Amino acid sequence: MNEEVMIGGHISRQFDLELDEIRSRVLKMGGLVESQLDKTLEALRDGDAESIIDIEKLDRKVNALEMEIDEECTQILAKRQPAAGDLRMIIATTKSVRDLERIGDEAERVARMVRHAFDNDASVKAFKGLLSLGEHVKELLNSTLNTYARMQTRSAVKNMRKDQEIDEEYSRVVVRLVDYMKKDPDNISDALDVMWAARSLERIGDHCINICENVIYLVEGQDVRHSDIEEIDEQLA
Amino acid sequence: MNQIIMNTAQQPLVDIVTETYQTSGLPLLEDPKMRVRNANVFYGAKQAIFDVNLDIGKNQVISMIGPSGCGKSTFLRCLNRMNDTIDICRVEGELLLEDQDIYDKKIDVVELRARVGMVFQKPNPFPKSIYENVAYGARIHGLTDNKVQLDELVEVSLIRCGLWNEVKDRLDEPATGLSGGQQQRLCIARAIAVNPEVILMDEPCSALDPIATATVEELIHELSENFTICIVTHSMQQAARVSQRTAYFHLGKLIEVNDTSQVFTNPEHQLTEEYITGRIG
Amino acid sequence: MTNQSKTDNKSSLDAVFQDRAILAEKRAAALKKRNRAEKRFQWAGRISIAFGIACVLFLFTDIISKGVGAFTQTYVEMEITFDQERLGLTPQSSEKEIKAASFGSFFKRQLREKYPEITGRKEKRELYALFTSDMPLILRDMVIADPSILGTTQSISMIADDDFDTYYKHSYGRDLAEEDKITRLSEMQEGIVDSLAKSGAVTKKFNTILFSNSDSREPELAGIKGAIVGSILTLLVTLVLSFPIAVATAIYLEEFAPKNKITDFIEVNINNLAAVPSVIFGLLGLAIFINFFGLPRSVPLVGGFVLTLMTLPTIIISSRAAIKAVPPSIREAALGMGASKMQTVLHHVLPLAMPGMLTGTIIGMAQALGETAPLLMIGMVAFIVDTPAGITDPATVLPVQIFLWSDSPERAFVEKTSAAIMVLLTFLICMNSFAVWLRKRLERRW
Repeated sequence: MNEEVMIGGHISRQFDLELDEIRSRVLKMGGLVESQLDKTLEALRDGDAESIIDIEKLDRKVNALEMEIDEECTQILAKRQPAAGDLRMIIATTKSVRDLERIGDEAERVARMVRHAFDNDASVKAFKGLLSLGEHVKELLNSTLNTYARMQTRSAVKNMRKDQEIDEEYSRVVVRLVDYMKKDPDNISDALDVMWAARSLERIGDHCINICENVIYLVEGQDVRHSDIEEIDEQLA
Repeated sequence: MNQIIMNTAQQPLVDIVTETYQTSGLPLLEDPKMRVRNANVFYGAKQAIFDVNLDIGKNQVISMIGPSGCGKSTFLRCLNRMNDTIDICRVEGELLLEDQDIYDKKIDVVELRARVGMVFQKPNPFPKSIYENVAYGARIHGLTDNKVQLDELVEVSLIRCGLWNEVKDRLDEPATGLSGGQQQRLCIARAIAVNPEVILMDEPCSALDPIATATVEELIHELSENFTICIVTHSMQQAARVSQRTAYFHLGKLIEVNDTSQVFTNPEHQLTEEYITGRIG
Repeated sequence: MTNQSKTDNKSSLDAVFQDRAILAEKRAAALKKRNRAEKRFQWAGRISIAFGIACVLFLFTDIISKGVGAFTQTYVEMEITFDQERLGLTPQSSEKEIKAASFGSFFKRQLREKYPEITGRKEKRELYALFTSDMPLILRDMVIADPSILGTTQSISMIADDDFDTYYKHSYGRDLAEEDKITRLSEMQEGIVDSLAKSGAVTKKFNTILFSNSDSREPELAGIKGAIVGSILTLLVTLVLSFPIAVATAIYLEEFAPKNKITDFIEVNINNLAAVPSVIFGLLGLAIFINFFGLPRSVPLVGGFVLTLMTLPTIIISSRAAIKAVPPSIREAALGMGASKMQTVLHHVLPLAMPGMLTGTIIGMAQALGETAPLLMIGMVAFIVDTPAGITDPATVLPVQIFLWSDSPERAFVEKTSAAIMVLLTFLICMNSFAVWLRKRLERRW
């Protein structure tokens, strides 16, 4: 399980360098997105609206990186006409970059909800209920980035299982919120904000899984989207 | 898969290929046009092709790729016995064209080559008129009864190769005056004029510019409706563009045969992967 | 693994590459040396060519200056009265009667009457000797051709004897010391010539005799017609035999024969044959065709056989080269179309190789045209007065004629020899130019 082999070894050293550059930029982008999520969780925990500025700054960087990486991938497609593993690497990268950017967007959205509540003097406390979900999502993102960095299909499957747990947790959060809304119809709009935030966190998990699927496609050449985890597990075994 | 990738990093390639081997992918088909079983080719004492098993599907384009000297051209030339002209070349194994052994003593090589035509790397029209070039095969095989039929055959062949409009006013001019791409299309017209079942193409575009290459590729695509085409090419992109199946040769062995779409996105054998991603060549 | 080797390469490359300024100096020095060497080389070539041209020019001027005289012949205009009584003939006389008439004494008497002051026996003989010895025969032939001239007086261009001719061309009217004069005439003869010349009776005309007569003991009557016809006949035999044999051999060896020791052996021997001295082919011809098969000597047929043997290797070698030069892609194309080996050769290889083959053949023929030695061996060196009518008539050829004349003691044959050489060279130049033209004409790009 050596990510160097997936990238290196071309007769054209320049090609190796270009692929390596793309990979390190994706990882850098992953790091930025991770800190976006971090700051969002901070905002959740502290009910602090200040970190939103940092998050927005980070988002601009992430967007710029996304465009840069896409441009580099386009250049490689045009110049090198990559095939097989290289081709899958480029395709998986452009897709993953998109997912990463979305993750950043979702994190920003959650932060924005928190600030909205803060600005309207609404109960920021309600958001704290999402902390556990947020932590799990953060773990998943971290593990996904590791999966991508090391091109490990095994851990990709593990991440998928983790995402299932997150989905279940999200369902529980939703049930709780619905209960709350029934009990206290006056605060429905606040509760809806929290629900949207939970929804965004859950979406981050889904984007992580997309990235994991891309890794599997990259390494194995198999498109595992829309298939059952057990099947995937079997195929990879 | 991951395991194999690691292996290549540590072991020299030769070890993998000198062992007895099994062709990856799907080398065999149902109801093929040509069937090759355990083909071995020798140049004197040197073996050029090792134990190749391959089926060539009807009205399909199969491309053969591989590094220089991997035996793909040698293999191609076995299919219409062009190797016969080389004294020291010896072919073993079973090569069937629709269940008929093409190396059978009873088979006349002239008849075989009328059924399995060939187009070469360098456009090689005869230094005669355009008309004579296309008419030549029909003349020697006695395919037409009179001048009218012959004229018609020449016209149809040229039309099918998309050359008619370009040359109809100068059929009597020397074929060597045409551009490289036109010459190559003329050679293809010459080959299809005898209506072969299989057309072998040995790097047909390697001497052509990209535009001419595109025209020839388009032509190959159109011809594949009626002809079985085997094409040897150095351009992997070309193989990817024109063929339905791709065969990868390495040091005289057929490493992998698969649908072209499969080979170029997710090859089974790591040698194929390394070749098409530009890691060996 | 690759990383390591790359960096190693780099450091070793650094050691090899030095400062660019130093390299530039070194390059400049090397360049100067190279340019000088190139100039020297070019000059060596130019000098060689100049030397070659000088030699050819020298040869040509020598031959032309010597031989140009042979293209004119000195004639003496003289009134001859065909006296019927003296000849004993009438216009009604039959050819047989005319032939029996004594034109010799008639002619001598005419001369004596023109120069009544000459009385001595020796002087009279010298007078007669100023004209060609065939003069009476020429007069007789005139009468046979037109008997009506009998009884009339005709102005006749009489062919001067070779000594007269030589004196008139080279010494007459020039203020030369006695010992510088190129002449074998006596003083009395010179006096006669001088007076004839002063009276305007002596003229020089284009020498048709050179082209209409065959060999003769008399230089003024000797021509090269027989030799030219002999050469043409011999070459025809050579061409008809050697071209098909050589082309067939070349095709078989190049296209069909397996490459093994036997064909190697044949190839070596063909190349050796090309280097065998031609006189040996003559001896071979003598042994085989004349002694063994009993063919007649001195005939173009045997000459053609011998020259065929001699030119075969040349034509085979050039034909093989021409076949080899046909690109293999053409053969592949034809074979790939399903043409048989023979169709490939006949339809494609042969037409493309033909210019080269023809060029080789013409050069071989030119070589055969200039060949003497083997023909000496089979007796084509004989003195033959008649023009050969067929390939089995005794004949001689141009180079042998040159050889014979160059050996003759008469001064006038020096002129004739050079003239014959000029004719031979003209033929050779024509043939070679034809070869060049043919190649240009037939050569096709592929």
